[in-house]
Amino acid sequence: MMPHILCPGCGHGIVLQALLRAVASLELDPDRVAVVAGIGCSSRLAGYVDFCTLHATHGRAPAFATGLKLARPELTVIVITGDGDGLAIGGNHLIHAARRNIDLLCLLFNNAVYGMTGGQVAPTTPQGSRATTAPRGNPEPPFDACRLMIAAGATFVARGLAYEPLTLQHLCMEGLRHPGFAFIDVLSDCPEFFGRYNRLGRGPEMLLSQKRRTTAVGPLLARKPALEGAQVATAPALPTGVLHRETRPEFTRLLLAQQGEGFP
Amino acid sequence: MSEGSVLIVGVGGQGVLLASDLLATVCLDAGLDVKKSEVHGMAQRGGVVISHVRFGAWVHSPLVEEGQADALVALEWAEALRWSAFLRPGGALIVDPVQIVPPAACADRRTWTSRYPPMDPPSTGGRGPQLCLIPAQALAKAAGVARAANVVLLGALSTRLDFPPAAWEEAIRRLVPAAVVEANLRAFAAGRDADPLPLPPPGPRVAPGGERRFAVAVVSAWCKGCDICVRICPQDCLRLDSLGLVRVTAPERCTGCRLCELLCPDFAITVGEEGGAVVV
Ligand code: SF4
Ligand code: SF4
Ligand code: SF4
Repeated sequence: MMPHILCPGCGHGIVLQALLRAVASLELDPDRVAVVAGIGCSSRLAGYVDFCTLHATHGRAPAFATGLKLARPELTVIVITGDGDGLAIGGNHLIHAARRNIDLLCLLFNNAVYGMTGGQVAPTTPQGSRATTAPRGNPEPPFDACRLMIAAGATFVARGLAYEPLTLQHLCMEGLRHPGFAFIDVLSDCPEFFGRYNRLGRGPEMLLSQKRRTTAVGPLLARKPALEGAQVATAPALPTGVLHRETRPEFTRLLLAQQGEGFP
Repeated sequence: MSEGSVLIVGVGGQGVLLASDLLATVCLDAGLDVKKSEVHGMAQRGGVVISHVRFGAWVHSPLVEEGQADALVALEWAEALRWSAFLRPGGALIVDPVQIVPPAACADRRTWTSRYPPMDPPSTGGRGPQLCLIPAQALAKAAGVARAANVVLLGALSTRLDFPPAAWEEAIRRLVPAAVVEANLRAFAAGRDADPLPLPPPGPRVAPGGERRFAVAVVSAWCKGCDICVRICPQDCLRLDSLGLVRVTAPERCTGCRLCELLCPDFAITVGEEGGAVVV
């Protein structure tokens, strides 16, 4: 299977490696881990892992994963999606999975652009950045995926960087252990389109610049029930780390309890 | 001794705070007034972990002043040296001569050669301290829980204080997690009975650690020449060749930091240790 199809310097490979290390350090049985992916560069990664995998339709990975988890609650289900896949066409599926608090780990590979289809504007493209469909700069303001997920009811929300692979591994481990909907917005990079159109350099430069655009949120601040929207908005840069954590009944268990012992 | 001042020092994670809690509990149970004050934080990064314990019929200040401590219990050699000025002349210096090199003292990241202080015994003016070297970590390991070096040293300390062993054992039962109480009691007994090690001869500094070499393996068939590893390597070990594939050009400089492995998007690099590990 290797080498994989991603472009040279694409951050997605680093993120996949961190996820694999997280699964390995938790000693999960590969046969009981399922990776559900949508469509896009990030979602291609499901094809390279030796777990149970499901390559779903565009944006529908959270919906497929919900069905899978309900049918086979004993599986650890990981959703791999991109910013275009998860926030645009699949936006609805994502917010409803969060609202239900179903026990999934959702990794959103955020490279601020549609990579696979040729560099179109995504819901996360920063205002003013260039893309194929915005040659004069993107006029729309972008989504902050983490604030969206907190508002939608996700019970574990974090942001990680491809540039910090060990921290990212630990975020994945915490997300995997979290009993409920865990969401991690992973800042990856797309040197091929976003980097090239915006003159941000190639892989190394884009990775190195991630540190400048973000501030880590310490564990003390993160232990507060929720980072206030205003706080996140006034932060000088994107906050990273665990941004939100709460306990709420998990959907699979609620449903099983409702059906009594006789789950079909 | 119905009154006294004890300093307990170490590096992060060695159990300085638990040790001082145990001592304070024993004193309280004996009906004494106790004051305890501690500083903890990142000793491995050059900060300090120290706990002052003062006890007596009536204690006014929680702080032990320089030259006032009756005993200094140190879980690490350099920490013993750092705080030895706090001992009163003739005070007891009970120390585990293990050496934990703080990163800041490391002079060469590949060999771990360090500016770690020599093993010469410290002196406090005219009358030197009663130096008592206890191999606490080794004894704790033998007792079944490697982390109980702090309790081994308390065992050694207890022979110099007036509290009966039963009072210490009672405190251990109360404060130590239930699963390791028995092992901690064994560690305490081992510390009470331990024969101090002989003093090492004064002499040139020791450089703990040893040569470590790392092997950086590249799967060229997977490398896409993205330049990330080359740019990220802090030791400048890697280069792209004329085909745009990565080559390890200076393996002897590699410190095994694994940054290249962690940040290669194409799983093309693995870093391993050459010829087995040398304990640092
Ligand atoms: S198009 Fe962008 S996101 Fe897709 S593989 Fe290439 S660099 Fe990565
Ligand atoms: S990071 Fe990986 S793919 Fe990129 S040049 Fe180095 S070995 Fe090759
Ligand atoms: S492990 Fe890799 S990045 Fe670190 S020094 Fe060695 S070659 Fe360089």
